[in-house]
Amino acid sequence: MIRRPLAPALALALAGLLAACDAGPKTTSTASASTSGAPAAAPAAPAAGETFGAGVKLPDATAIDTLLADPKAHVGKTVRVEGMVVDVCPKRGCWMDLAGAGPGQKLRFKVTDGEMVFPVDAKGKYAVVEGVVAINELTLEQTKEYVAYQQREYGADRDPATVTEPMTIVRLDGTGAVLRDKK
Amino acid sequence: MKWRRWFRALHRDVGYVAVALTISYALSGLAVNHIEDWNPNYRFEVTSFEIGPLPPGDLSARAAFVVAQLRLDPTTVRGHFQETATDLRVFLADGQEARVDMTTGRGRLKTITTRAVLFEVNSLHLNNLKGVWTYVADLFAVALMFLAVTGMTMMKGDRGLAGRGKWFVAAGLLIPLGFIVYMYA
Repeated sequence: MIRRPLAPALALALAGLLAACDAGPKTTSTASASTSGAPAAAPAAPAAGETFGAGVKLPDATAIDTLLADPKAHVGKTVRVEGMVVDVCPKRGCWMDLAGAGPGQKLRFKVTDGEMVFPVDAKGKYAVVEGVVAINELTLEQTKEYVAYQQREYGADRDPATVTEPMTIVRLDGTGAVLRDKK
Repeated sequence: MKWRRWFRALHRDVGYVAVALTISYALSGLAVNHIEDWNPNYRFEVTSFEIGPLPPGDLSARAAFVVAQLRLDPTTVRGHFQETATDLRVFLADGQEARVDMTTGRGRLKTITTRAVLFEVNSLHLNNLKGVWTYVADLFAVALMFLAVTGMTMMKGDRGLAGRGKWFVAAGLLIPLGFIVYMYA
Protein backbone atom coordinates (compact mmCIF):
# COMPACT_ATOMS: atom_id res chain seq x y z
CA MET A 1 0.00 0.00 0.00
CA ILE A 2 1.24 3.49 -0.88
CA ARG A 3 1.74 5.92 1.99
CA ARG A 4 -0.01 9.23 1.51
CA PRO A 5 2.04 12.17 2.74
CA LEU A 6 -0.15 15.17 3.50
CA ALA A 7 2.53 17.57 4.71
CA PRO A 8 3.33 19.23 1.33
CA ALA A 9 -0.29 19.85 0.51
CA LEU A 10 -1.00 21.25 3.94
CA ALA A 11 2.02 23.53 3.76
CA LEU A 12 0.84 25.06 0.51
CA ALA A 13 -2.71 25.44 1.78
CA LEU A 14 -1.41 27.20 4.89
CA ALA A 15 0.65 29.55 2.75
CA GLY A 16 -2.47 30.42 0.76
CA LEU A 17 -4.35 31.24 3.94
CA LEU A 18 -1.53 33.47 5.15
CA ALA A 19 -1.69 35.37 1.86
CA ALA A 20 -5.22 36.42 2.62
CA CYS A 21 -3.84 38.46 5.50
CA ASP A 22 -1.81 40.70 3.18
CA ALA A 23 -3.32 44.14 2.82
CA GLY A 24 -1.27 45.33 -0.16
CA PRO A 25 -0.01 48.93 -0.04
CA LYS A 26 0.50 50.34 3.40
CA THR A 27 -2.10 52.81 4.66
CA THR A 28 -1.70 55.33 7.42
CA SER A 29 -4.05 57.96 8.76
CA THR A 30 -5.54 60.40 6.27
CA ALA A 31 -5.27 64.17 6.32
CA SER A 32 -8.07 66.40 5.09
CA ALA A 33 -8.41 69.66 3.21
CA SER A 34 -10.14 71.07 0.15
CA THR A 35 -10.89 69.26 -3.12
CA SER A 36 -9.30 71.94 -5.27
CA GLY A 37 -6.91 70.93 -8.04
CA ALA A 38 -4.30 73.46 -7.01
CA PRO A 39 -0.91 72.05 -6.02
CA ALA A 40 0.43 72.39 -2.51
CA ALA A 41 3.08 74.89 -1.64
CA ALA A 42 5.50 73.07 0.63
CA PRO A 43 4.15 71.20 3.64
CA ALA A 44 6.74 69.79 5.97
CA ALA A 45 4.61 67.06 7.52
CA PRO A 46 5.24 63.43 6.52
CA ALA A 47 2.80 62.24 3.86
CA ALA A 48 -0.18 60.28 5.15
CA GLY A 49 -2.30 57.94 3.06
CA GLU A 50 -1.79 54.86 0.93
CA THR A 51 1.90 54.35 0.33
CA PHE A 52 3.43 53.04 -2.88
CA GLY A 53 7.05 52.05 -3.47
CA ALA A 54 9.54 53.69 -1.15
CA GLY A 55 7.03 56.33 -0.11
CA VAL A 56 7.95 59.98 0.27
CA LYS A 57 10.87 61.08 2.40
CA LEU A 58 11.63 64.65 1.40
CA PRO A 59 9.93 67.16 3.71
CA ASP A 60 9.53 70.04 1.26
CA ALA A 61 7.58 70.02 -1.99
CA THR A 62 8.54 71.70 -5.23
CA ALA A 63 5.58 73.28 -7.02
CA ILE A 64 4.74 71.76 -10.40
CA ASP A 65 4.67 75.26 -11.91
CA THR A 66 8.24 75.84 -10.76
CA LEU A 67 9.40 72.55 -12.28
CA LEU A 68 7.70 73.14 -15.59
CA ALA A 69 8.88 76.75 -15.79
CA ASP A 70 12.53 75.71 -15.76
CA PRO A 71 12.85 71.93 -15.95
CA LYS A 72 16.52 71.96 -16.95
CA ALA A 73 17.39 73.53 -13.61
CA HIS A 74 15.95 70.47 -11.87
CA VAL A 75 17.09 67.61 -14.12
CA GLY A 76 18.63 64.76 -12.15
CA LYS A 77 17.42 66.11 -8.84
CA THR A 78 15.15 64.16 -6.53
CA VAL A 79 12.11 66.23 -5.66
CA ARG A 80 8.83 65.91 -3.83
CA VAL A 81 5.80 67.07 -5.76
CA GLU A 82 2.14 67.26 -4.79
CA GLY A 83 -1.03 67.68 -6.73
CA MET A 84 -4.38 66.27 -7.71
CA VAL A 85 -4.29 63.16 -9.90
CA VAL A 86 -5.89 64.00 -13.24
CA ASP A 87 -4.95 60.90 -15.25
CA VAL A 88 -3.68 57.39 -14.57
CA CYS A 89 -2.26 54.82 -16.98
CA PRO A 90 -5.44 52.85 -17.70
CA LYS A 91 -3.78 49.53 -18.51
CA ARG A 92 -0.76 49.11 -16.30
CA GLY A 93 -1.17 51.81 -13.68
CA CYS A 94 2.44 52.80 -14.32
CA TRP A 95 2.02 56.58 -14.42
CA MET A 96 -0.07 59.38 -13.01
CA ASP A 97 -0.46 62.94 -14.23
CA LEU A 98 -0.59 65.53 -11.48
CA ALA A 99 -2.30 68.88 -11.93
CA GLY A 100 -0.41 72.14 -11.82
CA ALA A 101 -2.02 75.48 -11.09
CA GLY A 102 -2.70 76.59 -14.66
CA PRO A 103 -5.09 75.23 -17.29
CA GLY A 104 -3.72 72.05 -18.83
CA GLN A 105 -0.62 72.19 -16.68
CA LYS A 106 0.34 68.63 -15.75
CA LEU A 107 3.40 66.69 -14.67
CA ARG A 108 3.76 63.00 -15.40
CA PHE A 109 4.95 60.75 -12.60
CA LYS A 110 6.28 57.56 -14.19
CA VAL A 111 7.35 54.32 -12.56
CA THR A 112 8.73 51.06 -13.89
CA ASP A 113 5.89 48.75 -14.95
CA GLY A 114 4.82 46.56 -12.05
CA GLU A 115 7.03 48.27 -9.50
CA MET A 116 4.10 50.35 -8.32
CA VAL A 117 0.59 50.01 -9.68
CA PHE A 118 -1.69 53.02 -9.31
CA PRO A 119 -5.42 52.37 -9.38
CA VAL A 120 -7.15 53.91 -12.36
CA ASP A 121 -9.88 55.23 -10.07
CA ALA A 122 -7.32 57.44 -8.31
CA LYS A 123 -8.35 60.36 -10.52
CA GLY A 124 -9.32 63.29 -8.34
CA LYS A 125 -7.33 62.00 -5.39
CA TYR A 126 -4.41 63.90 -3.96
CA ALA A 127 -0.93 62.54 -4.59
CA VAL A 128 2.34 63.25 -2.85
CA VAL A 129 5.15 61.81 -4.93
CA GLU A 130 8.91 61.66 -4.99
CA GLY A 131 11.19 61.03 -7.93
CA VAL A 132 13.98 62.23 -10.17
CA VAL A 133 13.28 64.98 -12.70
CA ALA A 134 13.95 63.96 -16.29
CA ILE A 135 13.38 65.69 -19.59
CA ASN A 136 13.12 64.25 -23.05
CA GLU A 137 13.48 66.62 -25.99
CA LEU A 138 11.67 65.06 -28.93
CA THR A 139 12.17 65.80 -32.60
CA LEU A 140 9.13 66.83 -34.66
CA GLU A 141 8.80 63.28 -35.98
CA GLN A 142 9.06 61.79 -32.51
CA THR A 143 6.50 64.30 -31.25
CA LYS A 144 4.01 63.18 -33.91
CA GLU A 145 4.62 59.54 -33.01
CA TYR A 146 4.22 60.33 -29.32
CA VAL A 147 0.94 62.20 -29.87
CA ALA A 148 -0.33 59.40 -32.11
CA TYR A 149 0.54 56.86 -29.42
CA GLN A 150 -1.23 58.89 -26.73
CA GLN A 151 -4.29 59.13 -28.95
CA ARG A 152 -4.30 55.44 -29.87
CA GLU A 153 -3.43 54.03 -26.46
CA TYR A 154 -5.10 56.44 -24.07
CA GLY A 155 -7.76 58.16 -26.17
CA ALA A 156 -6.06 61.56 -25.93
CA ASP A 157 -7.85 64.31 -27.84
CA ARG A 158 -4.92 65.82 -29.68
CA ASP A 159 -4.66 64.89 -33.35
CA PRO A 160 -1.06 64.10 -34.46
CA ALA A 161 -1.82 65.91 -37.74
CA THR A 162 -2.01 69.19 -35.79
CA VAL A 163 1.54 68.82 -34.43
CA THR A 164 3.79 71.48 -35.93
CA GLU A 165 6.48 71.87 -33.29
CA PRO A 166 8.65 69.43 -31.37
CA MET A 167 7.83 69.04 -27.72
CA THR A 168 9.83 68.52 -24.58
CA ILE A 169 8.47 66.02 -22.10
CA VAL A 170 9.15 66.72 -18.47
CA ARG A 171 8.51 63.90 -16.09
CA LEU A 172 9.32 62.55 -12.71
CA ASP A 173 10.87 59.08 -12.63
CA GLY A 174 9.18 57.89 -9.49
CA THR A 175 10.60 56.20 -6.45
CA GLY A 176 7.58 56.45 -4.20
CA ALA A 177 4.16 57.95 -3.75
CA VAL A 178 1.37 58.47 -1.29
CA LEU A 179 -2.25 58.72 -2.35
CA ARG A 180 -5.05 60.11 -0.22
CA ASP A 181 -8.58 61.33 -0.70
CA LYS A 182 -7.93 64.99 -0.07
CA LYS A 183 -5.10 67.46 0.22
CA MET B 1 11.14 2.06 -6.54
CA LYS B 2 10.28 3.87 -3.33
CA TRP B 3 11.18 7.34 -4.61
CA ARG B 4 8.71 7.00 -7.48
CA ARG B 5 5.91 6.25 -5.00
CA TRP B 6 6.80 9.36 -3.08
CA PHE B 7 6.95 11.47 -6.23
CA ARG B 8 3.57 10.19 -7.30
CA ALA B 9 1.97 10.96 -3.96
CA LEU B 10 3.57 14.38 -3.75
CA HIS B 11 2.77 15.15 -7.39
CA ARG B 12 -0.86 14.28 -6.76
CA ASP B 13 -1.28 16.30 -3.55
CA VAL B 14 0.78 19.32 -4.56
CA GLY B 15 -1.15 19.23 -7.84
CA TYR B 16 -4.46 19.38 -5.98
CA VAL B 17 -3.31 22.40 -4.00
CA ALA B 18 -1.99 24.11 -7.14
CA VAL B 19 -5.18 23.70 -9.18
CA ALA B 20 -6.82 27.00 -8.17
CA LEU B 21 -3.71 29.11 -8.64
CA THR B 22 -2.72 27.38 -11.87
CA ILE B 23 -6.11 28.10 -13.41
CA SER B 24 -6.24 31.68 -12.13
CA TYR B 25 -2.69 32.42 -13.34
CA ALA B 26 -3.44 30.86 -16.72
CA LEU B 27 -6.63 32.90 -17.02
CA SER B 28 -4.76 36.06 -16.14
CA GLY B 29 -1.99 35.09 -18.56
CA LEU B 30 -4.48 34.95 -21.39
CA ALA B 31 -5.93 38.29 -20.35
CA VAL B 32 -2.70 40.26 -19.98
CA ASN B 33 -1.08 38.62 -22.98
CA HIS B 34 -3.39 40.71 -25.15
CA ILE B 35 -3.08 43.94 -23.18
CA GLU B 36 -2.27 45.85 -26.37
CA ASP B 37 -5.73 45.04 -27.70
CA TRP B 38 -7.90 45.54 -24.66
CA ASN B 39 -7.93 46.53 -21.02
CA PRO B 40 -7.83 43.33 -18.95
CA ASN B 41 -8.71 45.07 -15.68
CA TYR B 42 -11.24 47.79 -16.38
CA ARG B 43 -14.25 48.50 -18.53
CA PHE B 44 -14.92 52.13 -19.51
CA GLU B 45 -18.36 53.39 -20.34
CA VAL B 46 -18.75 56.80 -21.94
CA THR B 47 -22.06 58.59 -22.35
CA SER B 48 -22.52 61.95 -24.07
CA PHE B 49 -24.56 64.79 -22.61
CA GLU B 50 -25.51 68.38 -23.35
CA ILE B 51 -26.35 70.70 -20.47
CA GLY B 52 -26.11 74.08 -22.22
CA PRO B 53 -23.40 76.72 -21.79
CA LEU B 54 -22.04 76.92 -18.27
CA PRO B 55 -22.94 80.05 -16.30
CA PRO B 56 -20.17 82.53 -15.55
CA GLY B 57 -18.35 82.05 -12.28
CA ASP B 58 -15.29 80.42 -10.87
CA LEU B 59 -14.39 76.83 -11.74
CA SER B 60 -15.74 75.42 -8.48
CA ALA B 61 -19.16 76.94 -9.15
CA ARG B 62 -19.09 75.69 -12.71
CA ALA B 63 -18.11 72.20 -11.57
CA ALA B 64 -21.00 72.24 -9.10
CA PHE B 65 -23.32 73.29 -11.91
CA VAL B 66 -22.20 70.33 -14.03
CA VAL B 67 -22.74 67.92 -11.15
CA ALA B 68 -26.21 69.32 -10.48
CA GLN B 69 -27.24 69.25 -14.12
CA LEU B 70 -26.12 65.63 -14.46
CA ARG B 71 -27.90 64.74 -11.19
CA LEU B 72 -24.71 63.29 -9.76
CA ASP B 73 -24.13 62.99 -6.02
CA PRO B 74 -22.26 66.19 -5.00
CA THR B 75 -20.73 64.40 -2.02
CA THR B 76 -18.77 62.16 -4.39
CA VAL B 77 -16.97 65.07 -6.07
CA ARG B 78 -13.20 64.87 -5.55
CA GLY B 79 -12.02 67.87 -7.51
CA HIS B 80 -11.89 69.61 -10.85
CA PHE B 81 -9.29 70.59 -13.42
CA GLN B 82 -9.31 72.96 -16.38
CA GLU B 83 -7.82 70.86 -19.17
CA THR B 84 -7.95 73.49 -21.92
CA ALA B 85 -9.27 77.01 -22.36
CA THR B 86 -12.75 75.55 -22.80
CA ASP B 87 -12.71 72.07 -21.25
CA LEU B 88 -13.47 71.46 -17.59
CA ARG B 89 -13.01 68.06 -16.00
CA VAL B 90 -14.85 67.11 -12.82
CA PHE B 91 -13.60 64.08 -10.91
CA LEU B 92 -15.90 61.96 -8.79
CA ALA B 93 -15.49 58.87 -6.63
CA ASP B 94 -14.61 55.52 -8.18
CA GLY B 95 -12.82 57.17 -11.10
CA GLN B 96 -15.98 58.64 -12.60
CA GLU B 97 -15.32 61.79 -14.61
CA ALA B 98 -17.42 64.42 -16.36
CA ARG B 99 -15.64 66.40 -19.04
CA VAL B 100 -17.50 69.34 -20.49
CA ASP B 101 -16.93 72.12 -22.99
CA MET B 102 -17.81 75.15 -20.91
CA THR B 103 -18.89 77.20 -23.92
CA THR B 104 -21.27 74.68 -25.46
CA GLY B 105 -22.19 72.49 -22.48
CA ARG B 106 -21.50 69.37 -24.50
CA GLY B 107 -19.55 66.68 -22.72
CA ARG B 108 -18.94 63.08 -21.81
CA LEU B 109 -19.46 61.17 -18.61
CA LYS B 110 -16.93 58.41 -18.13
CA THR B 111 -17.54 55.56 -15.72
CA ILE B 112 -15.07 52.84 -14.78
CA THR B 113 -15.96 49.35 -13.66
CA THR B 114 -13.51 46.61 -12.81
CA ARG B 115 -13.78 43.35 -14.71
CA ALA B 116 -15.04 40.77 -12.25
CA VAL B 117 -12.63 37.88 -11.56
CA LEU B 118 -10.06 39.14 -14.07
CA PHE B 119 -9.20 42.18 -11.96
CA GLU B 120 -8.57 39.96 -8.97
CA VAL B 121 -6.59 37.23 -10.74
CA ASN B 122 -4.51 39.84 -12.58
CA SER B 123 -3.67 41.48 -9.25
CA LEU B 124 -2.42 38.15 -7.96
CA HIS B 125 -0.64 37.14 -11.15
CA LEU B 126 1.12 40.50 -11.60
CA ASN B 127 1.84 40.65 -7.87
CA ASN B 128 0.21 44.03 -7.39
CA LEU B 129 -0.36 43.07 -3.77
CA LYS B 130 3.39 42.81 -3.00
CA GLY B 131 4.14 41.89 0.62
CA VAL B 132 3.43 38.32 1.73
CA TRP B 133 1.88 37.47 -1.63
CA THR B 134 5.35 37.68 -3.19
CA TYR B 135 6.45 34.68 -1.15
CA VAL B 136 3.26 32.74 -1.82
CA ALA B 137 3.79 33.30 -5.54
CA ASP B 138 7.42 32.17 -5.15
CA LEU B 139 6.22 29.03 -3.44
CA PHE B 140 3.74 28.43 -6.22
CA ALA B 141 6.49 28.81 -8.81
CA VAL B 142 8.61 26.24 -6.97
CA ALA B 143 5.58 23.96 -6.76
CA LEU B 144 5.08 24.22 -10.54
CA MET B 145 8.71 23.28 -11.13
CA PHE B 146 8.28 20.36 -8.76
CA LEU B 147 5.13 19.25 -10.59
CA ALA B 148 6.94 19.45 -13.92
CA VAL B 149 9.90 17.40 -12.72
CA THR B 150 7.88 14.79 -10.85
CA GLY B 151 5.40 14.62 -13.73
CA MET B 152 8.16 13.18 -15.89
CA THR B 153 8.61 10.28 -13.50
CA MET B 154 4.99 9.16 -13.32
CA MET B 155 5.37 6.38 -15.87
CA LYS B 156 8.00 3.70 -16.37
CA GLY B 157 9.06 1.81 -19.45
CA ASP B 158 8.12 2.73 -23.03
CA ARG B 159 5.68 5.39 -21.92
CA GLY B 160 8.08 6.87 -19.38
CA LEU B 161 10.81 9.46 -19.72
CA ALA B 162 13.25 6.82 -20.91
CA GLY B 163 10.81 5.80 -23.64
CA ARG B 164 8.76 8.16 -25.77
CA GLY B 165 8.57 10.69 -22.91
CA LYS B 166 11.98 12.11 -23.77
CA TRP B 167 10.81 13.00 -27.28
CA PHE B 168 7.80 14.87 -25.95
CA VAL B 169 10.01 16.72 -23.47
CA ALA B 170 12.42 17.60 -26.29
CA ALA B 171 9.55 18.83 -28.45
CA GLY B 172 8.32 21.01 -25.60
CA LEU B 173 11.82 22.40 -25.19
CA LEU B 174 12.21 23.13 -28.90
CA ILE B 175 9.23 25.50 -28.98
CA PRO B 176 10.65 28.17 -26.64
CA LEU B 177 14.18 27.51 -27.90
CA GLY B 178 13.04 28.19 -31.45
CA PHE B 179 11.58 31.55 -30.44
CA ILE B 180 14.72 32.46 -28.48
CA VAL B 181 16.85 31.71 -31.55
CA TYR B 182 14.45 33.81 -33.62
CA MET B 183 14.69 36.61 -31.06
CA TYR B 184 18.47 36.82 -31.42
CA ALA B 185 18.59 36.16 -35.17
